Amino acid sequence: MNPLIKHRITRRQSLTLIGATLAAMTLPTASLFANTGGMRQKAFAGTDKKLPLIGMGTWRTFNVGSDPQLLDARTEVVKAFFEHGGGLIDSSPMYGSAPDVMGYALQQLGTPESLFAAEKVWSPAGGSAREQVAELQERWKVKHFDLVQVHNLTDWREHLAALQEMKAEGIIHHVGITTSHGRRHSEIEQIMASEDIDFVQLTYNITHREAENRLLPLAEERGIGVIANRPYDGGSLIKNLKRRNAPLPEWANEECGCTTWADFLLKFIVSHPAITCAIPATTQVEHLRENMRAGHAPMPSPDARQRMAATIESL
Amino acid sequence: MNAWTSYRLQDFIPFTAEVYFRLLERMGENFWPLHLLTLALGAATLVLALKHRTRIACLLPVPLWAFVAIAFFFQRYAELNWAGGYVGYAFIAQAVLLVLVALTGWGMDNAPRATNPPVAIGIAITLFGLIVMPLMAPLSDGSWYQAEVFGIHADPTAVTTLGLVLIMLRGFALWIAVIIPALWLVVSGLTLQVLNATAAAVLFGVLAIALVGLVWKSIEAKR
Repeated sequence: MNPLIKHRITRRQSLTLIGATLAAMTLPTASLFANTGGMRQKAFAGTDKKLPLIGMGTWRTFNVGSDPQLLDARTEVVKAFFEHGGGLIDSSPMYGSAPDVMGYALQQLGTPESLFAAEKVWSPAGGSAREQVAELQERWKVKHFDLVQVHNLTDWREHLAALQEMKAEGIIHHVGITTSHGRRHSEIEQIMASEDIDFVQLTYNITHREAENRLLPLAEERGIGVIANRPYDGGSLIKNLKRRNAPLPEWANEECGCTTWADFLLKFIVSHPAITCAIPATTQVEHLRENMRAGHAPMPSPDARQRMAATIESL
Repeated sequence: MNAWTSYRLQDFIPFTAEVYFRLLERMGENFWPLHLLTLALGAATLVLALKHRTRIACLLPVPLWAFVAIAFFFQRYAELNWAGGYVGYAFIAQAVLLVLVALTGWGMDNAPRATNPPVAIGIAITLFGLIVMPLMAPLSDGSWYQAEVFGIHADPTAVTTLGLVLIMLRGFALWIAVIIPALWLVVSGLTLQVLNATAAAVLFGVLAIALVGLVWKSIEAKR
């Protein structure tokens, strides 16, 4: 392995991916997405609509530009996501080419009914909220977005008002706001309390639980769906556990069905009653499969969740 | 939590190492064998600079800076990072600056001697950019397409130019001419650091050595 270039796809891997993509294209679209694979779902935003517990984020992982090799590799990840019962995919105009890459994947695979397309508007991206949504629809090659959020609260008053209008006109289905890394929680709380929003996206994971104090109870009270970003804290949680070679506690398998640390970390998040879904991001099909397994029963009880947190604290 | 202090370096790098190194590899795949011409131009620039043909030596890297701006930044890097377009304009600005210096003769060191320490540092940095940098990836088990080459990729273009201007220019003009190459090397070094690539240390090392040469040449000029 070249120490200067640590992450590469070999020619053999790329040929395998291209071959697999071509083989997948010969299958009927419905057969790709018929099996939800036991993924649990949760109702959201005070409606009877449900979302699979495990969604997918695209920050960094789906920003591959026009590289044909990597476009096909990400298409395989999207295919596996829907094969395993996935629904919500979240992106942003801030994520470089990620919306275009989603468009490429959906064009190759067809757009499954289970897709819950979530995007964002962001002031530095330029243009009004309405213009940004129209442009992003073209990039994703979708007819509508199920959810459009105000990215990191940038100019949220103007954007949220415009998004509410678009929701009323039926152009988008739901509106939301986002933050990450625990930033601006007091402002998020004010918006959740005073504005009519369907979703809030925030950082919630086993080592970042500030949202439990006020935001998650408020979301339950107001019927606001919660999308948990950075479930592995940007990958550092998994990396640290691997580096320590820490064994998964036996009780985690017996009580919660955890077979990997990915299961353990994700089940902790999605078993919180206020959390609608978590959106781990990955570039690899195998990791995607691990993520998706975490959406299956059994889920940890409140007692088991406490033991989970204590286990991570003790490491 | 304070919103601004919570940002970390990786929050500003919107792609993975796999994607960035594939970008460098694609440049190699798409433009081979242009590498031979750009390396020849780099070598010719060094020879002309040492033979005191400074004006023509200033002009030779100009098309290469413009090429990297268009082919690397505007057409490819900007797909991954919205700031890439601005860096592309900076590379165009460097090309324009080199043209202006060549036309006006501003700040030219018309008799650089290889025995002069800052000039020797400039020669070493130039040779490093022209010869060593392209070999780093292939010698580390990478393919030849992963070789980063002066005039094709941004890093060796900036490194080599840093060495060349250290030979060719002096005074205020020298400091102006190193701003864009040096700033790019800082950005690239930080990017590679986030991507856990050892090449980050190489770029910071080159910058530190170049800074020694710059200060040395400036002090010499005031004596």
